[in-house]
This record gives sequence, structure tokens and C-alpha cells, in this order.
Amino acid sequence: MKRWMAALLLALPLIAQQTTPPAPAAPREAKLPQPVEMTLDNGLRVIVVPKHDLPLVAARLMVKAGAAADPRGREGLADLTATVLTLGTKTKSAEQIARGVEALGATLSADASWDSTTVDLSVMSSNLNKAMEYVADVARNATFPKDELERERAQGIDALQASLAQPRVLAAVVASRLTFGDAPYGANLEGTPKSLAKIERDDLVKFHAAHFRPNNAVLVLAGDVKADAAFALAKSVFGTWVGPAAGRPSARRPGGPGDSATRVVVVDMPDAGQAAVIVGRRGIRRVDPAYLQAIVANSVLGAGYSSRLNQEIRIKRGLSYGAGSSFEPRAQVGPFTARTETKNESAAEVASILVGEMKRLSTADVPEAELTPRKAALIGDFAQSLETTSGIVNRVSALARHDLPLSDINRYISGVQSVTAEQVRKFAGTNLSGDSNIVIVGDASKFLEPLKQQFAEVEVIPSAELDIDSATLRVRKEKK
Amino acid sequence: MRFARIALLSLLVAATASAATTIPPIPFKQRVLPNGLQVYSAQDRTTPTVAIHVWYRVGSKDDPEGRSGFAHLFEHMLFKSTKNMPSEMMDRLTEDVGGFNNATTFDDATAYYEVVPSNYLETLLWAEADRMASLNVDDANFKSERDVVKEEFRFRVLAPPYGRLFYALEKSSFVKHPYRRPGIGSIEELDASTLDDVRKFHSTFYRPDNATLIVVGDFEQQQLDAWVDKYFTPIAKPSSEIPRVSIEEPARAEEKRITEYAPNVPLPAVAMSWLIPSASHADAIPLFVAATILSEGESSRLQEKLVRGEVAVEAFGDADVREDLGLFGMVAILSSEHQPAEAEKLMRAELASIAEKAVTPAELEKAKNLIVTSALRERETSNGKAFSIGEALSKQHDANVVNNGLAKVQAVTPADVQRVVKKYLIDGKALVLTYLDESAKGGAK
Repeated sequence: MKRWMAALLLALPLIAQQTTPPAPAAPREAKLPQPVEMTLDNGLRVIVVPKHDLPLVAARLMVKAGAAADPRGREGLADLTATVLTLGTKTKSAEQIARGVEALGATLSADASWDSTTVDLSVMSSNLNKAMEYVADVARNATFPKDELERERAQGIDALQASLAQPRVLAAVVASRLTFGDAPYGANLEGTPKSLAKIERDDLVKFHAAHFRPNNAVLVLAGDVKADAAFALAKSVFGTWVGPAAGRPSARRPGGPGDSATRVVVVDMPDAGQAAVIVGRRGIRRVDPAYLQAIVANSVLGAGYSSRLNQEIRIKRGLSYGAGSSFEPRAQVGPFTARTETKNESAAEVASILVGEMKRLSTADVPEAELTPRKAALIGDFAQSLETTSGIVNRVSALARHDLPLSDINRYISGVQSVTAEQVRKFAGTNLSGDSNIVIVGDASKFLEPLKQQFAEVEVIPSAELDIDSATLRVRKEKK
Repeated sequence: MRFARIALLSLLVAATASAATTIPPIPFKQRVLPNGLQVYSAQDRTTPTVAIHVWYRVGSKDDPEGRSGFAHLFEHMLFKSTKNMPSEMMDRLTEDVGGFNNATTFDDATAYYEVVPSNYLETLLWAEADRMASLNVDDANFKSERDVVKEEFRFRVLAPPYGRLFYALEKSSFVKHPYRRPGIGSIEELDASTLDDVRKFHSTFYRPDNATLIVVGDFEQQQLDAWVDKYFTPIAKPSSEIPRVSIEEPARAEEKRITEYAPNVPLPAVAMSWLIPSASHADAIPLFVAATILSEGESSRLQEKLVRGEVAVEAFGDADVREDLGLFGMVAILSSEHQPAEAEKLMRAELASIAEKAVTPAELEKAKNLIVTSALRERETSNGKAFSIGEALSKQHDANVVNNGLAKVQAVTPADVQRVVKKYLIDGKALVLTYLDESAKGGAK
């Protein structure tokens, strides 16, 4: 018996010394969510994605206007409107709303992005009907109480000061200014201490009246709710919602004229514990036919752990905890950014790697051995995002925001797979090489010299002289 | 963690909350291989993906002396080469096929995990077994990855305005127990570590009898068991003892106040901590409920009194329970024109109010509902379920917590919350940390 055991033990390690990974089995097809929809008589579009494995529902009411609609000088208005939206209605105080929602175990939040403002709910399905009444109440009957506004404004200004003390946040804000100048997309979505100070209650009321109307809104529900029940619920809480008679105001062009000035800007922050480096430029619109090419190109360049930027900066050189890039396709041309953080001494080195990798993508075809896994990574991310109720709501509402067919969900995988190396190279030639702005926020004394050797014109702005409210980025000097 | 958070003052839901009477249980199966490897598996065939976790019972508290941050640095090294895998091969086997991988170093454990399309399950079992059995890192790899970890330190601790606050709170809250060493380490001690330390750490702690394999998602049970036998059974169990931390943290004899200065602090902050019992102690659950009442949601006490009260921009509390003992923490970042002492007073007043008048039944019910919903969200993915099993095992040594923990939460009464708040937070001794911009140093304002 013992000898038999010993023989078995001896035999096993031979199997274990399998030196190559076992091959995969045949894949199983993923089931994609099947949205169903209807439009209420008042124009509200309702989309439902039933998914019954857990007693949980995510819901979002989205209106198709966000920070891109902020008036000049009142940047941060959409964001502040969203924040105060849940803090008082015609019949309920902020405390009553928060306590009522949370007694149901639900979370309710409102947020503004560039092109939309959303009210989001996550709730166990047994409490869905009660919780949806709060969603409808804040969307329809928000009163924007003065004291709530004042508190949120003061805290917003404090929070901005805290976040703008971080090199990477400040670098992103400066990069937007460089890319879009004084067009709406050039501003900070949360505004600035200066712009928040100017916003009045009436601005919030007007923003709400202009954009919160049923024919400018979409309601998305995903999770443990049947389509019929969801439609009935939508009718019961939103059926009598009537928009104001006045038309919607016309907006500024959020992307601006699209000039292509190239600047290298250093914001000198001598105390910075780490430098933030961003390369920024204009990207694409969400409805651009090349959208999937952009997504695939970026997956090679800077999305995910094994993308080129992270390979070169982190994995090969140990210069950062992470490096990456992204397109942010919006209703109008949104930004592209490539970014990383590094010790101050290596800021110039990583700046040239970022620019160099963007250019390299346009000079040679991505080998299939690299392109195929990057596409697989994108498809995997897509599939994983559809595993949660909030992930489904995100995907579906993004399509609805840009009036894209919901059936695009079923075409995403094949669409990604069909992008060719040649398309990626050509796309990168048009969209990633050439004019870009570079922003470095950090201790300039540690990287200015090597940076000047790489780039002919480097502007240095001491952090005390930086004015993020101005397209020139500099505090205007008073003439004596 | 290779990418995101490291648990400094974890704001995550503690494992004690990860189950509910109203939510489907996680139907896990458990077995032990002859070499001591614990195996947990739970089938869920909703989507064709599978989560594979290996949790090693070694965490930041096991950092060698003078090598603070080592367990975390080591975690990064396990993505480098092994006998049969070149560096970053884990990324080839996961990211390249539409999955992902990551790892997290906790105080008590280190978790390595992958989510992949389920047809790659066997491949990943092979890979996890391979890096358990052998590590084959060279000096160039080691030094470059150590630089990455130093950048992670700058990213988490030096660059954010409140990074040094959590670092100092962790360091100052314990006097003897190794929990006092922040998991991210320090530049000096990271620099002092060597490739030899890496090899020694692997042979000491990375062994089957110190590990748990957790597989959740799309698989056939028999097939999984056969693969686990094939790839993990041959890994030898060393005869050496596994060293365990046995240092006991003494009770605090008195309150302690410290001030920490840092550059670029836009608004002052105040943080308080108290010692609380271990995760497996019965009082951990009412303490977790107390933290939820204080801190979870817009209608939580700290939110209503401090943030809506316009004294703080942010205020939160947390019962960070661990294997050996825990920390109850409260932090407030002040609104401009307000002083840390005001926030401290208000936070203490909330504790006093719970200790004197107890919480209302409605408030308690709300906290329970929030805990249930949050547990539901955690269980939407196979990865979330695997995490809840791993956390329960590392902190409470009992996976059943994922299926019976919520019943214990449901059973908590106002009197329970009152009692633990009085015992640990009113009668316990606080550490009070005031966090100011360095310009405030030396009395100058």
C-alpha cells in the first residue's frame, strides 16, 4: 500500500511539469442583453433590459444635456444643478429624500457629464416601485433650495481646491484648456472656484427647465423587473410629466473651432510629490464612423495593462505605476489624452515616450499577433460590463444618448473584430500623429532642462500664476 | 495591487455583511488536497466566464523586519517569471483573451485573481499552480518592479493631498502589532530589500498548505476537480513551519494626540482611531452596523451633522476589522474657515448620543437595508462572490460567513449597537490625528 502510494506520488510530478499552458476549450457563447423599449405619449423613451438572476435593479433617468450647455463664465452649472437636484422638491426636503431613499436600502445620485445629466438608482427589486417615485420626484419637481445651493457651492469650491492640488487633476484641466480653448469642452466639468462663485439659483432653475423635459429624456432600467411591469411603472411615475412650452435654448459649439496650436506647458509646483504628464489633442465624435477604429487603436496604444504605453513606461522601464490613454468621444469632437505620473526627475523622459508611441502607431501596421489580443481585451471588457445591472445601464444609455441603434450592442463584437491593422495605422495617422499639446505639472527644477532639449518652446507657468479660467492660462497682470 | 487600491483604511464593506436571508446563498463546495491546499468552488453558469482566485495567508503584517512594504512588493514579483512562464505571461493568458488579472495585498492575506472566458479555466489553473510551485525572478526584473512600487508609493502617498493622512493614521494607530507598518512600505525599506528576500519569502509562505484556491463561475464540477488534482496535487508541502504573527497589541492606556504636516494640504483634516476586536469576534458585527449608521449614505449621521452641518467637506467612518484586531476610524476633512477641533467634537457627540440614547429602530432598519443592497451588488459578478469567500476565509477563517453573516446583521438590536459604541469608542482610548499644511508648522498660520 505504501509503495503504491509512493509510486503514485512519484508519477504525479511528471504530469505537473507540464511546461506549456494547456490549450483552451471551445468557447461558450455569451448571451447579450436584449433591450425592449417604448415611448410614452409625452415623448419619454423607456428602455428595459430584464435580468433576473439577483433581486436587484439599476435605473437611470437621463436628460440629453450636460456641462457642454454651461453658459460662459458659469462653468460647473450642470454639475451643480445635478448635485442640488436631489436636495429638495415641492413636497420633500433634502433630509426627507435621503432618509426615504436609504430606508429602502437604495442609493440615489445625480451627475452631470458633458452631454447628459443623469439620475441614478440602485435598489433591491422589492423596493423598486417606491424608490422610482423619488427618481421621478427629483427629476420633475426639484426646487433647488437656496440654502442647499449655498452649502453645495461652498463645499464644491473647497473640494475643487483639494482636487486641483493634485498634479494629475490639474494637468488634466490644463490639457482640456489647451485642446479646446474657451469653448465649453475646454472648461473643467466641475467648474472653478471663480465660476462656481458666480452661479445663481436662477441659473439652476433655468437649466432644469430647459433640459429636464420628457421628450429630451430617456429612462433605462436593467435587472430584476419584467418589461411590462417596468413600462407600467414608468407610466405611473412619469406619464403625467409635461415639459415647458418654451423651446430649448440653442447651445454654443462645445468643441469650439478646432484650431491645432501645439503648446508644451509646464505648471511649476515645487512641492509636488510626483509629476503628472499629459499629451492632449482633439479626438472624435461618438457618432464618427471610425469610432470602433479609434477604440481598437487606443486599445493597442493605451487601454489596459498590456497596451504599448504601459509596456514601455511601466513594464520595461519602471518609470510609473501606470500609463494609459483614451478617446472620450462626445456629441461633438471630444478629447484624446495620453497620460502618466512619474517621479519629477523622469517627467521629460515619459513625455517623449508618450508622444513617440502615438506617432509609432501611424508609421507601421500593428502586427496581427499584437492586434488580435488587444481586440480580445476590448471584447472581454465589453462582456464584463454587461454582467452588472449598472454596467448594462451604462452601455444602453450611452447608445441612447447619441441616438445610436440599441442593436449596436449585438454588433460590437463583430465590429471590433473587423477592424484591420491598416485601418488602425491610417486612423492613427490622421488622429494621433502631429499636433498635440503637452502638459507637465510637477517640480520643474527637476525636469526643465531635459525637457527643453526635446521641445523647442516650453512655457513655464508658476502654479501661483496659473489661471484655469482663461484660455491663456495666465493670471492677467494688472497694468500699473 | 498592481493597479488600483491597497487597503489602507478600507472603506469596503467588511465580509461580515456579505450575505443576506433575502439573497440567494453562494452554493460553495469545499475540499482539501493532501498537500493542504484548500479548494472552494461555486458554480454560476449565467455568463461564460469564470473567476479564479488564489489567496495566500500572508499579508503586510508578515513583512520581514526592516522590510516594510515587502509583502506588497512581493505580490508584484509573482507576475514576473516562473520556471515555465516568462514575465507578464499572466497578462497573455488573461487580458489577451478578454479577461483580466490583478492582485491585492491586505494586512492578513494576499489575493491573486483572474477572470477569464470559461474555456480558459484549465489554462489558468495550470498557471496559478506553476507560480505557486516556482518563482524564477532575475535581478533586472526585481529592480524595475521595485521602481514601479516606489512610483505606486508616490502615487498613493506623496502626490494626493490626503495620502499622508491615511499613511500616518495606519502607522500611529498600533504601537506593537505589525499592523503599524503601512502596507505600501517606505522608499528606504523598499530600497533595502533584495532578490534573496524575494526567494525566501516565496519558499516561506507560498506553499499549498498556506493557500486557498477559489473558483466561481462557469465550470463542470467533475472537470474542475480533475484539473485541480492534476495541477495542484503534485506541489509539495514543505515540512517547515509557517511563521505566524503572535504579537499582541496592548490596550491603549490613554488618549494620544498627534499632528502631521504635509505639503499642499488645501484644507485641514482630523482623523480618529480606536482599537476594536478581530473580525471573528461577535462584537465585529454590531460595530460594522454602527459604522454604517454613522457613515453610509446621505442621511448617515456624519453626513447630516458634519457635511450638511457645513463643518466638513467630507466625513466618514469605518469598522476596519482584520484577522488579529481591528480599527474603528473616523475622518473629517474640514470646510474652509473651520477647525479640526470642531469636527472632532461633533464626531464624538454622535458617539456619545448613540451610547446614551441608542439608535432608533428606523435608523437600524435603514442600515440593514443598505448592507443587504450592497451585498447584492457585490454578488453580481463571479469575481465579487469569490472575493467575499476569500475575505471571509482570511479574516474569519470561515467561508460560511458569506451565507450566514447577514442573518447575524439582521439580528443586531439598538442595544447591541449602543453597547459596542460605549465599550470600544466611548470607554476606549482614541488616537486623534490632526493633519495640517506644512505652512502651519511652528505656530505660524
